[in-house]
Amino acid sequence: MLMSFKQIFLPPPSLFKLVIEVWLTCALMVSQALADETVQVQITQPYIELHSGPAGGFPVIHVVAKNEWITVLKRRTNWFKVETIKGAQGSVQGWVKQEALHMTQSSTGQPVKLSDGSFESFAQRNVEFGALGGSFESVPSMTIFADWVATENLSAGISVTQALGDLSENQFFLVTVKHTTFPEWRLSPYITLGAGKIRTKPRANLVQAGGEARTSDLLAAGLGLRYYIAQNFMLKLEYQNLQALTNRDENEDLEQWKLGFAVFF
Amino acid sequence: MEIGFRSFFLALLCTPMSFSLLAQQDADQSVIEPSVERRDINESSIDSENFEFGLLVGVISIEDFSSSMVLGVRAAYHVNEDFFVEATYGQAEAGETSFEVLSGGAPFLTDEERDYSYYNVSLGYNLNGETFFTDRWVFNSATYLTFGAGSTEFGGDERFTVTIGAGYRLLLTDFFALHINMKDHLFNSELIGEEKTTHNIEYGLGATFFF
Repeated sequence: MLMSFKQIFLPPPSLFKLVIEVWLTCALMVSQALADETVQVQITQPYIELHSGPAGGFPVIHVVAKNEWITVLKRRTNWFKVETIKGAQGSVQGWVKQEALHMTQSSTGQPVKLSDGSFESFAQRNVEFGALGGSFESVPSMTIFADWVATENLSAGISVTQALGDLSENQFFLVTVKHTTFPEWRLSPYITLGAGKIRTKPRANLVQAGGEARTSDLLAAGLGLRYYIAQNFMLKLEYQNLQALTNRDENEDLEQWKLGFAVFF
Repeated sequence: MEIGFRSFFLALLCTPMSFSLLAQQDADQSVIEPSVERRDINESSIDSENFEFGLLVGVISIEDFSSSMVLGVRAAYHVNEDFFVEATYGQAEAGETSFEVLSGGAPFLTDEERDYSYYNVSLGYNLNGETFFTDRWVFNSATYLTFGAGSTEFGGDERFTVTIGAGYRLLLTDFFALHINMKDHLFNSELIGEEKTTHNIEYGLGATFFF
């Protein structure tokens, strides 16, 4: 799919919105102020159930009938805290799940449909964050990464990995470009290319190592699989071949396997 | 004549129908109309609180190096009602081994090497529930189990660390929670002679905000 210059090189406005939102919600007072804005919906199905907490296991404490209005106060994962309109017995607060909220309509008569938490919204994601665990040269490794999804095929990101072995401690970061081959598939392969730096420090107890920590440039090429699980949750499996450009005669050839999960927004 | 009969029956038929129409209109009007101005809703118009951030304080028993107070920060992202991802960072200062105390000899570690710090990323599973302090004083709560990996810096080295934990979260309000948690940090160490897997059990209290 051809993308215009603007689509490729300028972050989508929703990214700015997300950043601003995160910043805003950091302040608790502000988040309270946001909650004060009222969002009201009308039930279109025979009834919806209000639970006492944001999970299916919490008991149903109230039932709101068709044509009644509820105020949506806040959400936690796929659950929404709502309040009934003040009646003879006062108002009732409870939690409804997302499917129940989809049985309502807005004041303009539009059915409420929140697109997030679906494979469709996965296709429209802007950023991914995640953590992966695995093996780097047979040593346990941990990676955290953040990716910005530029187009449905291309994304750019950074990752930081720490691999702690018996002989040395390795830390490296990579700036990567990723190409997802079949973005419309739930399970899709991807390829990555990256460049960064690696810092290797011999263990303190190795007397013979004697050396200080050394830093080398690093190049990486990788193959991976990503799988959309549900909501805003995905799995990743990746193999990376890395070249550490040392100042010795030979470059170091390194391998990394990793498996992990990511969330997207 | 025939037309007269027909129109009579037609009128007879129309009367109950018009009544039911009127009744329907009445029913429509009787719906309570909220006085607040309404608008269309989408994801961004609802304040979502899936992130949790807070502080924790507790005691960590550092194997062979006695117990110390630990201070940390905790951040979590709630993926769905069951699962969450949690990252914690903590700092403590290790004490002395019993050998150091008894012999009064040279210390194993320098002061700097006694600084103990860790970070870990865990996947957690909630056992959601309610806590009844009295019949009418009820709070939502969750007992949770976590499993994760991370790193511990101690004795001049950083070690790959596996963590297994369990905790209890009491939601005093929708956005403020108290935690009681226990976590075992497992890593290999050879600070005391030969290499072994050490268990460093931490327990403590935490307070977090959802935003």
